[in-house]
Amino acid sequence: MIRRLFRALGPQYDRTLRRLLGLLVVAALLQGAAFVVLVPALRELLGDEPARAWPWVIGLAVLWIGYAVVNPLATLAGFRTGAGLSRDLHHRIGDKVAQLPLAWFTADRVGGLGRLASQRILDVMGVPAHLLRQLVDATVMPLVVVLAMAVFDWRLAVAMAVAGVVVAVVYRVASRGLAAADHEADRIHADAAGRIVEFARAQPVLRAFGRTVDGHAVLDEALAAQHRAGRRILRAGLSGVVGLGFVAQASFVVMLALGTYLVLGGSLGAAELVALLVLAVRFVEPVMLTAELGGALRVAGNALQEINSLLATETLDEPERSARPNGSSVELRDVHFSYGDSPVLTGLSMEVPAGRLTALVGASGAGKTTVVKLIARFFDPAAGAVRVGGADVRELRTEDLTALISVVFQDVYLFEGSILDNIRVGRPEATDEQVYAAARTARVDDIAERLPGGWHAPVGEAGSRLSGGERQRISIARALLKDTPIVLFDEATAALDADNEHALHAAMTALARDRTVLVIAHRLHTLQAADHIVVLAGGRCVEQGRHDDLLARNGRYAHYWRERRRARGWRLQRPDGPESALHKGFRAGDLVPE
Amino acid sequence: MFRNSTGVVGLGDLLQPVRRRLGLAITLQAAAAVVAVVPLAAVAELARVLLAAGPIDHDRAWQVAGIAAGALIGWLALSGVASALAHHADLDFQLSVRRRLVRHLGRVPLGWFTDRGAGAIGKAVQHDVDTMHHLVAHAALSLTSSVITPVVTLVYLFTVDWRMALILLIPITAGVAVFVRLAMTMESQTAAFDEAQQRIAGRVVEFVEGIAVVKLFGQARRAHAQYGQAADDFARFFLAWVSKGYRASAVSELLLSPVTVLLAVLVGGTAMVTSGRLAATELLPFAILGLGLASPLQALHYYSHDAEKASVAAKRVGSLLAAPVLEVARDPRRPVGARVELAAVQYAYDAGRPVLNGIDLVLEPGTVTALVGASGSGKTTLAKLLPRFFDPVSGWVAIGGVDVREIAPAELYRLVSFVLQDVQLLDASVRDNIRLARPDADDETVRRAARAAAIDERIRALPLGYDAVVGRDVRLSGGEAQRVSIARAILADTPIVVLDEATAHADAESEALIQDALSELAAGRTVLVVAHRLASVVGADRIVVLHEGRIVEQGRHEELLTAGGPYARLWELQEDHVGAGAAVGSGEGR
Repeated sequence: MIRRLFRALGPQYDRTLRRLLGLLVVAALLQGAAFVVLVPALRELLGDEPARAWPWVIGLAVLWIGYAVVNPLATLAGFRTGAGLSRDLHHRIGDKVAQLPLAWFTADRVGGLGRLASQRILDVMGVPAHLLRQLVDATVMPLVVVLAMAVFDWRLAVAMAVAGVVVAVVYRVASRGLAAADHEADRIHADAAGRIVEFARAQPVLRAFGRTVDGHAVLDEALAAQHRAGRRILRAGLSGVVGLGFVAQASFVVMLALGTYLVLGGSLGAAELVALLVLAVRFVEPVMLTAELGGALRVAGNALQEINSLLATETLDEPERSARPNGSSVELRDVHFSYGDSPVLTGLSMEVPAGRLTALVGASGAGKTTVVKLIARFFDPAAGAVRVGGADVRELRTEDLTALISVVFQDVYLFEGSILDNIRVGRPEATDEQVYAAARTARVDDIAERLPGGWHAPVGEAGSRLSGGERQRISIARALLKDTPIVLFDEATAALDADNEHALHAAMTALARDRTVLVIAHRLHTLQAADHIVVLAGGRCVEQGRHDDLLARNGRYAHYWRERRRARGWRLQRPDGPESALHKGFRAGDLVPE
Repeated sequence: MFRNSTGVVGLGDLLQPVRRRLGLAITLQAAAAVVAVVPLAAVAELARVLLAAGPIDHDRAWQVAGIAAGALIGWLALSGVASALAHHADLDFQLSVRRRLVRHLGRVPLGWFTDRGAGAIGKAVQHDVDTMHHLVAHAALSLTSSVITPVVTLVYLFTVDWRMALILLIPITAGVAVFVRLAMTMESQTAAFDEAQQRIAGRVVEFVEGIAVVKLFGQARRAHAQYGQAADDFARFFLAWVSKGYRASAVSELLLSPVTVLLAVLVGGTAMVTSGRLAATELLPFAILGLGLASPLQALHYYSHDAEKASVAAKRVGSLLAAPVLEVARDPRRPVGARVELAAVQYAYDAGRPVLNGIDLVLEPGTVTALVGASGSGKTTLAKLLPRFFDPVSGWVAIGGVDVREIAPAELYRLVSFVLQDVQLLDASVRDNIRLARPDADDETVRRAARAAAIDERIRALPLGYDAVVGRDVRLSGGEAQRVSIARAILADTPIVVLDEATAHADAESEALIQDALSELAAGRTVLVVAHRLASVVGADRIVVLHEGRIVEQGRHEELLTAGGPYARLWELQEDHVGAGAAVGSGEGR
């Protein structure tokens, strides 16, 4: 635990942590010593001359003063370290996040990161501020008590030392069992959580098929599994805590019996026994507390581990200084790329000439989006090179690369803020006039008109109040405002209504003007208009050229084009043929017009 | 239409199923708290026996030691059982609350979900219920023992010697007084702390969630700086906040610490013993029992924060359970036939902004009716009234002559199925996904439906076939997922089908297959289609044009074109657009 803390904080915090640990140990020692003084003091008080207890009482008072000075210092140091810890961890996490490649940011990870940087850091802050003291107390005080016991009566000391070892072993075993059960419970818990989110997300379809009438069986099973796992972990946990308590209390009973036996045999003074028993109570208490602290310690330990593993994530290398790109052409040379074991690109070479519209086509899974992400350096190719203006993207610093490129994705992420805020992210220092101009060109003004609140209307969580086409228009406005020479555009596959389609088309036309554009094309008219078409298949470029030339070649592109034209969305037709076998069971009466 | 429950569901109501067990646990814990005093009192008594003048009474000594040991075991057993009971009660409590939440959420109008988001609901059902663990499993028990043990101890000590008991109380009373005063002044400070914490959490979320966008726009450095600033502010605030109450809290902590209590007992005790006012043996109970007197108080403080969080969580869960639900008819009526009728239907998400306004529409059995119109015209909302995703504000929707509100839910779902715009597949096997409406359907039926939806071949080509779990064993393309969802509707085999035009995530081949699948589904049913592309529905029996929540035109495609109204305008717009070769990037000297 303490080692993990040192690692998360980094070496510059070693001294602070050591000082804190030192203060805590001193406070615990003083407290332990104060209890030890009780033994001689009580012996004198119970003896023939009670006044001889005074020097010991004075000694206790001195120890008390020491404790009164050190303890607040330790508390303050704990708070200071906690605050420093929070600040440093936030910064270290922030630095790391700023370096992580864009591909790292999946929805799952972003959610986890949010938790890490808020709740987890608070968990860790509690370690120096509260938990560490209890941990030190629980270790140091029993040690002091055993040592003091050895001075007064070695036999009781041995009994106590044995008890201490047994307690430590039981604690170890119990917490290991608990950790294993915990792990299992976490898995089941996550499973149930996933089912609940699914239940909420898939609510429309579950309703449409009547699956909420008697509850959703899969979800209910997940909840029941969680309940069963809870029982298992409870059995493991309770038997651990009760076992620990039993060992601790039993060791007290053994000392009580042993002590009574020794006193009755005459080899131990009654006063000493009583004093030692008082000490023994002090021995048991911190041990009992540790059992209850176990949970909090585990939580903090897991939090530290999570933070450490984030800090250990690999990042993309950045050059000290950027190469100087020349022009705005984009080129991929013999690029290989795979997601895990499945290769996506196997030696792709293609060019996006400067100032032209290049369309990328291919079946789903052909790697079109991968090409866009490689150019924007979400990740690096396994082999080959991606060049922008002749410079390898790996030789450009992130800010220099992003200054050249705008990306308009299909699934556009919008902040929870107003329409204007969301456009302004393209260039925060832009004037209002520039923002409005970009918005108008991208036909966002129609959206502002529709929403109550106009330009200042909140877009909802992740833009939920807008349709897909509308979100993409806002994204185009961002790109217009950012005004980069290169635009990468993933055209919406979703069918849009006529108005939206029209507006989106106008917006895109405006964006494409005088820029280098690479578009993942789904619309027929985009293909017709493109200066250059690249057809992807099997991880390579299989055909390229202009629309008319490619059609004339009658190859893969021509086939694709014909299929698109034929389908172009679905059409409802009344089949004239006989009903399929499935329909035989149909209640024909229902269909007879009334 | 909504039944408003009597406000928020309270914790007492939630606890109902486990109330008796919790009561028993508290009783046992109270007994344990009393027994806890016995071993220590017995040690003091043992000292008296051992130190008594004259020969030691061996039997008595062993007897007292035996009582101490027995009481320890008794305490352990009692508190162990109490804790086990409370924890088991808590587990059952969690399950019952979660089930209740799920049952309830399955009945609230669908619009309620869009306002919240699946993540937030998941958090409430899992995380908030978890947070209540402390309240149920610990709070009552620790409160019981933290109050009873000190009280019993004090009573015992007062019977031993009231003067020493008073001396013992000096530091404890002082410590508690300082603590209470501190707590009172800190109450407003706690709010400030929560606020600061909220602020940093907000910044974190903003930074983290926006980072991908922000990086893409080259603003990472700037967002990073803002976040760093927030982190520094929080650390600074925390230190200032701590140091405000720090002195008082250090004093109270010191006064309540066992070392201070020990000092008071020894100083007072030595003075009284040396002056002959107290027998030395009478001092022992104070040394043994007095030291532990204050520790439950500190434990209470330690727990209070958790308890507070738990009650906030309980409130959130309670308010979820208070969300109004769609009412279910007590005496449902059976519809006859599959004729759908909407009369004077009005609907609004927000009061004052009607989405549908005075809709009258009849869907004759076995016909295809298409809804078209601009986004925001209300066509999807209208379609969702049929499967009763929500109820109209006024007017009514009837199927087979019966208002849908008077049809039993199970019966309604046998009549209507819905193919949604965005396909939703569950993390379950392909088979279970297809037979969602009829979980007991046999393999042959499932395969027939899959074949009709042109997806059977694809599924059988999978290593696990129909057992493949969606998302884990197989990633279906958009078009494939659509066909699975169509197979689902085919298997549901309802006389009425509502289609929200699948927005095509499909590639060319897939689209052709989807077209076949849909035609198969539409055969012989009453179909309502929400169309986003006019070309999809030129063959419909009737096209209904919506504008701002009203029906402005209806008829067959050719009729509407000749009429030259809004439909003709829409058609022209779309045709012009799709047909035009002059598109993106044209002009400007390319």
